[in-house]
Amino acid sequence: MADVTFLDAEHGARPASGRVDGVRVLLDPASLDALTGWQLKPEGLCRDDVCVPVRDPDLTVDGAIDVDRFAAALARPVVVDAVNGVVALGERSVDRRGPIEAGVAPDFTLRQLAGGTFTFSSLGRRKKLLLAWSSW
Amino acid sequence: MGVAFDDSVAVAQEWVDAADPRPVFPMLLDREHLLSELYGIYNVPTVIWIDEDDRIARAPVIAPGDDMFRDFTNIDSAVHHEQLRAWVATGALPPASGHEEVMLPTDDEQLARLERRVGAYLAREGRTDAAEAHFVRAHQLAPMDWTIRRGTLPLRGDDPFGETFFAFMGEWAEAGQPGYGSADPGAPS
Repeated sequence: MADVTFLDAEHGARPASGRVDGVRVLLDPASLDALTGWQLKPEGLCRDDVCVPVRDPDLTVDGAIDVDRFAAALARPVVVDAVNGVVALGERSVDRRGPIEAGVAPDFTLRQLAGGTFTFSSLGRRKKLLLAWSSW
Repeated sequence: MGVAFDDSVAVAQEWVDAADPRPVFPMLLDREHLLSELYGIYNVPTVIWIDEDDRIARAPVIAPGDDMFRDFTNIDSAVHHEQLRAWVATGALPPASGHEEVMLPTDDEQLARLERRVGAYLAREGRTDAAEAHFVRAHQLAPMDWTIRRGTLPLRGDDPFGETFFAFMGEWAEAGQPGYGSADPGAPS
């Protein structure tokens, strides 16, 4: 099994266990579960108490899960770079739109420059200013 | 809290160390641009006001900290700061200026963000040719997103204040300067 790099917004880059087959990246079901919380069961793809029926015969190859077909089954955006062994799974735009349209501030955890991590909700009931900046 | 849309603590820390006075609030690194997705951020410097109930009191706007680039942006930085002080002191919200716009992500923008994220990862790993293909796709999918068009320039070994950037600025200006704009630019400088 080759190492594949799995990218997402919340966690950045994490190693995944799988293999490359042409332009497809196939992941170990256990690895995909650890990374995303999704498992393939007879009922379909399941996470927590949600199951999504899957009718795609190309979802699995010899027990490994095709990342592109997995994303398609969940209607989520994905970038699969088989040549470089990298995949990036995203959230649907409709799911990101929800909080923005509702005018609510989603919680998040990011690295602190000074070390450790910081969680937005730790600020509690105060007025807060989020300032996005960059070196560029 | 300050959130740096940068690729390393070191790069961001350089700026924090040079700041006078030094920030006393949490300074964070958002290498994957998670907050672009969560809050609808398309450019920097962007500020978002969030109230005690975690509601967005004021949608994202461009609010420079000072007037260093006033000739370039035509934004009087004092306007936002006065409005911010008033909100903190009294809860008063500024009058709707007409310059603010809530930007909602499209499917293409979400995909662009993934392409940028993959490109940035590959670039950080030194795989610059592989990265470039992803950056090109990201630019095609979200041509007016500054965090993508301009934010990728350092990773591509290009100058964020150079020709490529100014060509993009021209495109953006021709397209009518899409984006959420500034809170209230104030009087022309």
